[in-house]
Amino acid sequence: MQGNRNALKVAMVSVLTAVVVVFTMVVRIPTARGYLNLCDVAICFIAFTFGPWSAFIAAGLGTALADLISGYAQWAPISFVVHGVEGLLVALIVQKKGDATVSVGRKVLAAFICIATVSLGYFALSALFISTVSVAAAEIPGNIAQSAVGFALGLVVSAAVKRAYPPVSSLTW
Amino acid sequence: MTTNTYIAGKGWLYRFDPRAKLLLMLLMCVWFFLPVTLLHLALVVALVVLVGAHSTGWHHAWRTVYSISPMLLFMILFMPFNVREGVPLVSIGSFTVITKEGLEQALRLMSRFIGITYVCTLLFATTVMHEVMLTLRWYHLPYKASLVVTLAFTYIPFIADSFSQISESHRLREAEDEQKKKVGQRLKDLVPTLTSALVVALRSIPNLAMSLEMRGFGRQERRTSYHSLDAYHHVCTNFLLACIIPVAFWLASMLF
Repeated sequence: MQGNRNALKVAMVSVLTAVVVVFTMVVRIPTARGYLNLCDVAICFIAFTFGPWSAFIAAGLGTALADLISGYAQWAPISFVVHGVEGLLVALIVQKKGDATVSVGRKVLAAFICIATVSLGYFALSALFISTVSVAAAEIPGNIAQSAVGFALGLVVSAAVKRAYPPVSSLTW
Repeated sequence: MTTNTYIAGKGWLYRFDPRAKLLLMLLMCVWFFLPVTLLHLALVVALVVLVGAHSTGWHHAWRTVYSISPMLLFMILFMPFNVREGVPLVSIGSFTVITKEGLEQALRLMSRFIGITYVCTLLFATTVMHEVMLTLRWYHLPYKASLVVTLAFTYIPFIADSFSQISESHRLREAEDEQKKKVGQRLKDLVPTLTSALVVALRSIPNLAMSLEMRGFGRQERRTSYHSLDAYHHVCTNFLLACIIPVAFWLASMLF
């Protein structure tokens, strides 16, 4: 029985990791200053639907793999930490017991934590290891916009997926 | 969607043992942070690019630098203005625009950034992905973790294809031109596409779990692996070289 559960966990994390990679690499929305990618949509969707550990592993691993494939290997460790922590924190905040609904206050707090983790995490780690404070600071507005849009879309998509595919509720880890 | 980072070639980097290559990559990344002069840093970066380009081709080297060019542009635009103290190079009246130290710091950061990026890219350009996984397992990455990464790579093309098909079919239904829509409307229109793509992906989870069980996942004995790193010779020499190269660079920068 334990083996069955382990196989399901591995399958779930593998597919969710692939989803994060695809959302990061394939979907790009042009904006005035460049592109928005949808990795945060996938991460928030996983955090809302699958729980903290799935969110941590899939978000961290998925964004790191996307960086490796896209040729930004030096960003992979930073993405792993920042997005992994983002997924973990959002999932912990919106985690619920049974069929109880998540209050608006907790959703607002989760949104704030999501935006703060991504923008400040990238700022601090890239200023420390890759570029400089001024260059890292220039990336903050883009990261705020991307994570805010990602959180809002993740929330909507999570509700839509639960309606369209009810068995998803049994996959929480 | 291409997920293969490997570029076929025959240079010495391809014959270098992946385990030693990973160590060399990490040591070189550390080397770029050592307190050496700008000239030495630039020379080592140039040498790394030269050696890498000899193995993987100039096109790959150019593509790597081109992909990080926006960051390099930011560095060269902002860095010199941040460092105010030092010998002025460009001044407007009494106002110092660029100092020698500011320019030097910008060039140092650019060299370091190019070096780290290129070294990391070279590892994945000269090593096939299953050998990277075997290397990580040799460094004691847990079996489950390597299985997750392997399975994720298998599923990425499937999910990307499903996403493209769903996205195209949704686009065909729409009368309005995509380019004329505002960003907000575009995001709103994405919801049905994202939902459908996610449902398709999630439906594959139970099947994958079942096939893992059928193949004996979770049993005590390990699965047979057809891939190994035995084809690489002179492993000890390669490890020795991986340690000697960064040390030699550092000694050279001290002596000359």
